[in-house]
Amino acid sequence: MVPVQWYLLLAAAVFCIGLFGILTRQNALLFLMSVELMLNAANINLVAFSAYWGNVTGQTFSLFTMALAAAEVAVGIGIILVLYRNFNDVDVTLAKEMRW
Amino acid sequence: MTTKPELRTGSHLLPGLAAVVLFVVMAVAILRASFGDPQGFGPDAPITASIGYAMFNLDMGTIPGEGMLVAFEIIDAVLVAALVAAVLLARREQDGSVVALLADGGREVRDHLTDGERPETDAVDEGGDR
Repeated sequence: MVPVQWYLLLAAAVFCIGLFGILTRQNALLFLMSVELMLNAANINLVAFSAYWGNVTGQTFSLFTMALAAAEVAVGIGIILVLYRNFNDVDVTLAKEMRW
Repeated sequence: MTTKPELRTGSHLLPGLAAVVLFVVMAVAILRASFGDPQGFGPDAPITASIGYAMFNLDMGTIPGEGMLVAFEIIDAVLVAALVAAVLLARREQDGSVVALLADGGREVRDHLTDGERPETDAVDEGGDR
Protein backbone atom coordinates (compact mmCIF):
# COMPACT_ATOMS: atom_id res chain seq x y z
CA MET A 1 0.00 0.00 0.00
CA VAL A 2 1.36 3.42 -0.99
CA PRO A 3 2.03 5.53 2.14
CA VAL A 4 -0.68 8.14 2.64
CA GLN A 5 1.93 10.90 2.78
CA TRP A 6 2.51 10.62 -0.95
CA TYR A 7 -1.17 11.11 -1.68
CA LEU A 8 -1.15 14.15 0.56
CA LEU A 9 1.90 15.54 -1.21
CA LEU A 10 0.20 15.02 -4.56
CA ALA A 11 -2.92 16.76 -3.28
CA ALA A 12 -0.85 19.64 -1.91
CA ALA A 13 0.91 20.00 -5.27
CA VAL A 14 -2.37 20.00 -7.20
CA PHE A 15 -3.89 22.49 -4.76
CA CYS A 16 -0.89 24.82 -5.05
CA ILE A 17 -0.92 24.61 -8.85
CA GLY A 18 -4.57 25.73 -8.70
CA LEU A 19 -3.68 28.52 -6.28
CA PHE A 20 -0.82 29.58 -8.53
CA GLY A 21 -3.23 29.81 -11.45
CA ILE A 22 -5.68 31.93 -9.49
CA LEU A 23 -2.97 34.30 -8.26
CA THR A 24 -1.25 34.81 -11.60
CA ARG A 25 -3.88 34.48 -14.33
CA GLN A 26 -6.49 36.96 -15.55
CA ASN A 27 -8.45 34.73 -17.88
CA ALA A 28 -11.74 33.72 -16.29
CA LEU A 29 -11.68 30.29 -17.89
CA LEU A 30 -8.26 29.60 -16.43
CA PHE A 31 -9.65 30.78 -13.09
CA LEU A 32 -12.37 28.20 -13.34
CA MET A 33 -9.88 25.47 -14.23
CA SER A 34 -7.70 26.48 -11.29
CA VAL A 35 -10.61 26.27 -8.88
CA GLU A 36 -11.35 22.81 -10.24
CA LEU A 37 -7.78 21.77 -9.52
CA MET A 38 -8.13 22.95 -5.91
CA LEU A 39 -11.42 21.09 -5.48
CA ASN A 40 -9.92 17.91 -6.88
CA ALA A 41 -6.95 18.21 -4.56
CA ALA A 42 -9.45 18.00 -1.70
CA ASN A 43 -10.96 14.93 -3.38
CA ILE A 44 -7.57 13.22 -3.48
CA ASN A 45 -7.25 13.73 0.26
CA LEU A 46 -10.74 12.38 0.92
CA VAL A 47 -10.17 9.23 -1.13
CA ALA A 48 -6.67 8.68 0.26
CA PHE A 49 -7.85 8.79 3.87
CA SER A 50 -10.91 6.73 2.99
CA ALA A 51 -8.63 3.94 1.76
CA TYR A 52 -6.25 4.48 4.65
CA TRP A 53 -8.87 4.01 7.36
CA GLY A 54 -10.99 1.47 5.50
CA ASN A 55 -14.11 3.64 5.63
CA VAL A 56 -16.19 4.63 2.60
CA THR A 57 -17.35 7.98 3.99
CA GLY A 58 -14.50 9.86 2.30
CA GLN A 59 -15.15 8.34 -1.10
CA THR A 60 -18.88 8.98 -0.83
CA PHE A 61 -18.25 12.57 0.15
CA SER A 62 -15.84 13.05 -2.76
CA LEU A 63 -18.68 12.13 -5.10
CA PHE A 64 -20.72 14.97 -3.64
CA THR A 65 -17.77 17.30 -4.05
CA MET A 66 -17.62 16.38 -7.74
CA ALA A 67 -21.33 17.16 -8.10
CA LEU A 68 -20.76 20.48 -6.36
CA ALA A 69 -17.88 21.21 -8.74
CA ALA A 70 -20.19 20.52 -11.68
CA ALA A 71 -22.74 22.97 -10.30
CA GLU A 72 -20.03 25.55 -9.78
CA VAL A 73 -18.81 25.15 -13.35
CA ALA A 74 -22.34 25.57 -14.71
CA VAL A 75 -22.78 28.88 -12.90
CA GLY A 76 -19.18 29.92 -13.61
CA ILE A 77 -19.55 29.39 -17.34
CA GLY A 78 -22.77 31.43 -17.27
CA ILE A 79 -20.99 34.28 -15.51
CA ILE A 80 -18.09 34.12 -17.98
CA LEU A 81 -20.61 34.25 -20.82
CA VAL A 82 -22.12 37.43 -19.41
CA LEU A 83 -18.62 38.84 -18.86
CA TYR A 84 -17.79 38.22 -22.51
CA ARG A 85 -21.02 39.76 -23.74
CA ASN A 86 -20.35 42.96 -21.81
CA PHE A 87 -16.62 43.37 -22.25
CA ASN A 88 -15.87 41.28 -25.36
CA ASP A 89 -13.20 39.63 -23.27
CA VAL A 90 -12.91 37.16 -20.42
CA ASP A 91 -10.31 39.14 -18.51
CA VAL A 92 -11.45 39.23 -14.89
CA THR A 93 -9.63 42.50 -14.19
CA LEU A 94 -11.93 44.40 -16.58
CA ALA A 95 -14.96 44.02 -14.33
CA LYS A 96 -14.11 46.24 -11.38
CA GLU A 97 -17.60 47.05 -10.13
CA MET A 98 -20.57 45.01 -9.04
CA ARG A 99 -22.56 46.54 -11.92
CA TRP A 100 -21.58 48.07 -15.21
CA MET B 1 0.88 29.03 -40.07
CA THR B 2 0.06 27.35 -36.82
CA THR B 3 0.93 28.87 -33.50
CA LYS B 4 1.29 27.37 -30.10
CA PRO B 5 0.53 28.82 -26.70
CA GLU B 6 3.46 30.37 -24.93
CA LEU B 7 3.96 31.00 -21.25
CA ARG B 8 4.03 34.72 -20.67
CA THR B 9 6.66 35.39 -18.08
CA GLY B 10 7.04 38.59 -16.10
CA SER B 11 6.30 40.29 -12.82
CA HIS B 12 2.66 39.15 -12.89
CA LEU B 13 3.93 35.73 -11.78
CA LEU B 14 5.25 37.13 -8.49
CA PRO B 15 2.02 36.55 -6.48
CA GLY B 16 2.39 32.90 -7.47
CA LEU B 17 5.34 32.70 -5.12
CA ALA B 18 2.78 32.53 -2.31
CA ALA B 19 1.53 29.26 -3.77
CA VAL B 20 5.06 27.88 -3.97
CA VAL B 21 5.75 28.87 -0.36
CA LEU B 22 2.46 27.29 0.71
CA PHE B 23 3.44 24.05 -1.00
CA VAL B 24 6.79 23.98 0.78
CA VAL B 25 5.11 24.57 4.15
CA MET B 26 2.51 21.87 3.48
CA ALA B 27 5.14 19.42 2.25
CA VAL B 28 7.21 19.87 5.39
CA ALA B 29 4.14 19.48 7.60
CA ILE B 30 2.98 16.35 5.74
CA LEU B 31 6.35 14.64 5.73
CA ARG B 32 6.87 15.30 9.43
CA ALA B 33 3.41 14.11 10.47
CA SER B 34 2.71 10.56 11.55
CA PHE B 35 -0.54 8.78 10.83
CA GLY B 36 -1.19 5.52 12.76
CA ASP B 37 -1.29 2.13 11.15
CA PRO B 38 -3.28 1.88 7.90
CA GLN B 39 -6.47 -0.17 8.07
CA GLY B 40 -7.22 -0.67 4.38
CA PHE B 41 -10.32 -2.22 2.82
CA GLY B 42 -9.22 -5.80 2.48
CA PRO B 43 -8.79 -7.70 -0.80
CA ASP B 44 -12.42 -8.58 -1.58
CA ALA B 45 -14.23 -5.68 0.04
CA PRO B 46 -17.31 -4.53 -1.95
CA ILE B 47 -16.29 -0.86 -2.04
CA THR B 48 -18.57 0.35 -4.81
CA ALA B 49 -21.62 -1.35 -3.33
CA SER B 50 -20.83 0.07 0.09
CA ILE B 51 -20.60 3.58 -1.36
CA GLY B 52 -24.04 3.11 -2.87
CA TYR B 53 -25.45 1.88 0.43
CA ALA B 54 -23.85 4.76 2.35
CA MET B 55 -25.25 7.26 -0.12
CA PHE B 56 -28.84 6.20 0.62
CA ASN B 57 -28.52 5.41 4.35
CA LEU B 58 -28.94 1.67 3.80
CA ASP B 59 -27.40 -0.56 6.47
CA MET B 60 -26.46 -3.29 4.03
CA GLY B 61 -22.80 -2.57 3.38
CA THR B 62 -20.01 -4.54 5.00
CA ILE B 63 -17.60 -1.58 5.01
CA PRO B 64 -18.23 1.06 7.67
CA GLY B 65 -19.45 4.46 6.52
CA GLU B 66 -21.85 7.21 7.46
CA GLY B 67 -25.23 7.70 5.84
CA MET B 68 -25.28 10.55 3.34
CA LEU B 69 -28.91 10.79 2.32
CA VAL B 70 -29.30 14.38 3.56
CA ALA B 71 -26.15 15.47 1.72
CA PHE B 72 -27.47 13.69 -1.38
CA GLU B 73 -30.71 15.67 -1.28
CA ILE B 74 -28.92 18.97 -0.64
CA ILE B 75 -26.60 18.39 -3.59
CA ASP B 76 -29.67 17.52 -5.66
CA ALA B 77 -31.20 20.90 -4.86
CA VAL B 78 -27.91 22.70 -5.51
CA LEU B 79 -27.55 21.05 -8.91
CA VAL B 80 -31.06 22.06 -9.93
CA ALA B 81 -30.42 25.63 -8.74
CA ALA B 82 -27.15 25.74 -10.66
CA LEU B 83 -28.85 24.46 -13.81
CA VAL B 84 -31.56 27.12 -13.58
CA ALA B 85 -28.97 29.81 -12.83
CA ALA B 86 -26.85 28.80 -15.81
CA VAL B 87 -29.86 28.91 -18.13
CA LEU B 88 -30.93 32.30 -16.75
CA LEU B 89 -27.45 33.72 -17.26
CA ALA B 90 -26.96 32.34 -20.73
CA ARG B 91 -30.36 32.64 -22.37
CA ARG B 92 -31.26 35.20 -24.99
CA GLU B 93 -34.54 36.97 -25.63
CA GLN B 94 -36.65 35.84 -28.56
CA ASP B 95 -35.24 38.60 -30.77
CA GLY B 96 -31.73 37.31 -30.14
CA SER B 97 -30.63 40.01 -27.71
CA VAL B 98 -29.11 39.05 -24.40
CA VAL B 99 -31.11 39.26 -21.21
CA ALA B 100 -30.23 42.83 -20.41
CA LEU B 101 -31.50 43.00 -16.85
CA LEU B 102 -29.05 40.33 -15.82
CA ALA B 103 -26.25 41.40 -18.10
CA ASP B 104 -25.95 45.16 -17.77
CA GLY B 105 -27.53 46.11 -14.48
CA GLY B 106 -30.69 47.39 -16.20
CA ARG B 107 -28.91 49.96 -18.35
CA GLU B 108 -30.63 48.80 -21.53
CA VAL B 109 -34.03 49.04 -19.88
CA ARG B 110 -33.23 52.56 -18.69
CA ASP B 111 -32.12 53.63 -22.15
CA HIS B 112 -35.33 52.20 -23.58
CA LEU B 113 -37.49 54.06 -21.06
CA THR B 114 -35.65 57.36 -21.48
CA ASP B 115 -35.24 57.08 -25.27
CA GLY B 116 -31.51 56.78 -24.94
CA GLU B 117 -31.09 60.05 -23.06
CA ARG B 118 -28.80 59.69 -20.11
CA PRO B 119 -29.38 61.81 -17.05
CA GLU B 120 -26.79 64.54 -16.63
CA THR B 121 -25.47 63.15 -13.41
CA ASP B 122 -25.43 59.46 -12.82
CA ALA B 123 -23.84 59.02 -9.46
CA VAL B 124 -23.34 55.30 -9.79
CA ASP B 125 -21.74 55.52 -13.24
CA GLU B 126 -19.43 58.22 -11.95
CA GLY B 127 -18.41 56.08 -9.03
CA GLY B 128 -20.70 57.84 -6.57
CA ASP B 129 -22.05 56.37 -3.38
CA ARG B 130 -25.75 56.23 -4.14
